[in-house]
Amino acid sequence: MLTVKHLAKSYDGEKKSLTDVSFSVQPGEVTVIIGPSGAGKTTILRSINQLIRDDDGEILFDNTDIRQLNRAQLRQARCRIGMIFQNYNLIEPLTAIENVLHGCLGTKSNLAGIFSIYRNREKEEALKLLEKVGLAEFAYQQCRNLSGGQKQRVGIARALMQQPKIILCDEPIASLDPKSTITVMDILRDLATNDGISVLINLHQVDIARSYADHVIGINNGQVVFDDRIQALSDTAIASIYQKDANSEGSVVHEF
Amino acid sequence: MNSDVQQVTNFFNTKRLRLSIILVIFGLAYIGASIGLGFQTQSLLNVQAGIAWLIHNFIPNEASQGYWNEIIQQLFRTFIVAVASTTCAAVVSLFLAIIGAQTLTPAITVSWVIRCLSSLLRNIPIVAWAMILLFSFKQNDLTGFLALFFMTLGFLTRAFMETIEDFGTEKIQALQATGATYLQVIFQGLLPEIAVALMTWILYMIENNVRDATLVGLLTGTGIGFIFNLYFKSLRYGAAGLVVLSVIILVVAVELISNLIGRLLS
Repeated sequence: MLTVKHLAKSYDGEKKSLTDVSFSVQPGEVTVIIGPSGAGKTTILRSINQLIRDDDGEILFDNTDIRQLNRAQLRQARCRIGMIFQNYNLIEPLTAIENVLHGCLGTKSNLAGIFSIYRNREKEEALKLLEKVGLAEFAYQQCRNLSGGQKQRVGIARALMQQPKIILCDEPIASLDPKSTITVMDILRDLATNDGISVLINLHQVDIARSYADHVIGINNGQVVFDDRIQALSDTAIASIYQKDANSEGSVVHEF
Repeated sequence: MNSDVQQVTNFFNTKRLRLSIILVIFGLAYIGASIGLGFQTQSLLNVQAGIAWLIHNFIPNEASQGYWNEIIQQLFRTFIVAVASTTCAAVVSLFLAIIGAQTLTPAITVSWVIRCLSSLLRNIPIVAWAMILLFSFKQNDLTGFLALFFMTLGFLTRAFMETIEDFGTEKIQALQATGATYLQVIFQGLLPEIAVALMTWILYMIENNVRDATLVGLLTGTGIGFIFNLYFKSLRYGAAGLVVLSVIILVVAVELISNLIGRLLS
């Protein structure tokens, strides 16, 4: 479904943010990327839909390399890749239903998109999705008035509106309270199990990964250090994912 | 303990000393400038005589009431020129700001050129604009309109550009991630988010331009500025005073209305 090979990225041309990252994602599975802050999790996720231009490697999505596509082709590919964010990134003054309908902009003509001319089929779909994430009665609420958990669910509905094959989740629960965290993670889990969508999540919380993931990819210092089923994620494996490299470990010891 | 107290005392002493030095520098600057300009400080004592003369002559009297009709006509005309120039400039500014903002620009050179252009337009004083344009467009409303238009264009382009840049790239990226086109991102994402901020800037600029239009009219021989000049030069001070009063009322009214709209928007 999605295969990443030898992905590399450097932001300043010197320090490598990613060095040779390879992994693949299966349909209908929740794949979680864990690792310390600054390990390169976000860079990996954003390279997949090319919000960040990487330097080298291959990203095979449905057997085409996303990195080689021209602008129009990339837009077509992005239509099938949903994405949700830590800060939700909804258009706050607009209502929930408008934000959900943004999910089908990619399939519309420029003018239809600009003037919000949606087909009846699309409107029905949007309402259905709001119902699916439990926000049917908030359809005409401005998103700025919603709570964090509700915003994230609107974000999920927007991503689903794209009829995605994969959903990329960049720290989806980092700003949420424990109750909303469970709601959001339950929805994501359900999308993989029952709708066969691949869900790829950047996470900080190992315990959440344990309860929801099928597969875990551990990233440390821009490299894949763990790539296996969740059952294989032992405490030693976690320690190795979160370990500092030799130099900084020394300095941490001095600090304490 | 004692040395700690000493340290606090020293801290305040240093602070006081710094303030004193700054005040002395200001004082010296004033004295230096007075000598340079031949300004006599004691002449300030006669200010009240001048003000008394102003009040006596410029307070509108019975005779000046007859001018209301003409004044209101010209005031309205000036107001329309100010609003028209601001709104026209706002439309062009928004376009320039979008392609000029670093987060949305198609090429960094475009951004750079627009920045320079807006800086140039903005930094030519309105009076200079009016006088330059007078050569080509003569004494009519169009000259005033254009002078206000160019200055507003420079100012609003800059203000809009900063508003757009403050908006950031995250939400733009979120819409790009759905496969939306550049124009779709702008109309569905950027504009709804910054609409209120844009309106606030436009209202501020209308207020500003109502004031400036008076001055520009004085130079281009149109509108309220022109009749102020006319009454003033023909020694009809009462009527001139009435013009000043009417401009103040208009500006305050515009300000109140713009505050009201601002509150309704947010």
